Amino acid sequence: MTTALQAGLISCHFCHTLSKLPESIDGEIINKNTEIYCPCCHSSLYSRIPNSLNRTWALLLAALILYIPANTLPVMTVIFWGEGQPDTILSGVMHLFAEGMWPLALLIFLASIFIPILKLLTLTGLLISIHFRAHWRPKDRTIMYRITEFIGRWSMVDIFVIALLVALVQFGNTASVSPNLGALSFAAVVILTMFAAQTFDPRLIWDAIEEDSAKETEK
Amino acid sequence: MASNHSNNTSPHAQVSHIACPDCDLILSVPPLAVNEVAYCIRCDATLLRNQKNSIDRTLAFAITGLILFVISNLFPLLSLKAMGLTQESSLLSTALALFEADRPLLSLIILLTTFIFPAITLLGTIYILIQVKTNRINRYTALLFRFLRRTDAWGMLEIFMLAILVALVKLGDVADVIYGVSLYAFCLLILSLSLLSYSLNPQDVWNSLRNKQGCSL
Ligand SMILES: [Zn+2]
Ligand SMILES: [Zn+2]
Repeated sequence: MTTALQAGLISCHFCHTLSKLPESIDGEIINKNTEIYCPCCHSSLYSRIPNSLNRTWALLLAALILYIPANTLPVMTVIFWGEGQPDTILSGVMHLFAEGMWPLALLIFLASIFIPILKLLTLTGLLISIHFRAHWRPKDRTIMYRITEFIGRWSMVDIFVIALLVALVQFGNTASVSPNLGALSFAAVVILTMFAAQTFDPRLIWDAIEEDSAKETEK
Repeated sequence: MASNHSNNTSPHAQVSHIACPDCDLILSVPPLAVNEVAYCIRCDATLLRNQKNSIDRTLAFAITGLILFVISNLFPLLSLKAMGLTQESSLLSTALALFEADRPLLSLIILLTTFIFPAITLLGTIYILIQVKTNRINRYTALLFRFLRRTDAWGMLEIFMLAILVALVKLGDVADVIYGVSLYAFCLLILSLSLLSYSLNPQDVWNSLRNKQGCSL
């Protein structure tokens, strides 16, 4: 079992063409900062996403910070007969439960509370496991990464519901819905975690194991 | 290497070497039979797929999708009737409503995810696939396809569809909701978009580029 990195090859992120990691191009010695391009699709080539860990940490921390206003500030205010009632994400879910719309409450709970927490925890866990060069279940960690990357965007459903309600329920003082700052914070959390998942490189999960077993055979 | 039921592959056909995108393991994949999928033996990532007529089918779904996308934008999706007043909402007016409610950033997010990225996906896919069919794809047009692959997750119409269903249930108790003409077109649009992303096999596009550029996998 050989990885591309060990074989001195780079796989193109887009077209999967394998190129030789060149030591020099036209006599010029390649250092880490020299950009090289895929011979087929001309995308820039890299063995691992550059600065993957730092960028993922930065995006994740930004998301964690914005997660606080996203959950404490109201996401929308429903005005009914002149009386406004601001709702946070959690209180919105509670209202749905109280009104007996539990399938809906469950859906919003999954999309707006469960999935974002799962995503923040999974990405944090993956980053920490890479820092400690963990050998623990690399395949399961890769699958967990794939799941978070896939389901993360569905958290946007609540933002779209708010947008639709704002667009539809506009009857002046009798009944209207207005969006609040919490909605923007929540959308930012979803978008930041989507970027964080995109810039995370799952190959790093396997690198620690590869490198350690290479050291083992040297001994 | 790791494929489902690989018995109809000819022995002298070319084996392609590919590094797993998720774990970097180099694997040799024999030519795949129709509907066969190759997975990584170490981490289960999907490596390659072989789909019949992927280019033609995807092109058909993309053109259908584009027509439905235009119709979806011409008429209202939903109308709400309450106290003798009617309020209509379409795809673009949803984004606009947030702009008018002094939430320009939120409005921009809605505009990008429910209008601009889906439009780019549909138009871009049609353009790229026609380029492939006429064998005119080159590394400059491939730039567009790379952009489409990178921004694939940002078109969120199927999530917007789910939001429409949620809004329907929420409002159903309180007011009369009238389904607009566009809602039917919109449902079909979601169907064509999901068929599009299911039938699209990016490797077919890259192979077409590869044949022109003379590189091997
Ligand atoms: Zn490439
Ligand atoms: Zn793999």
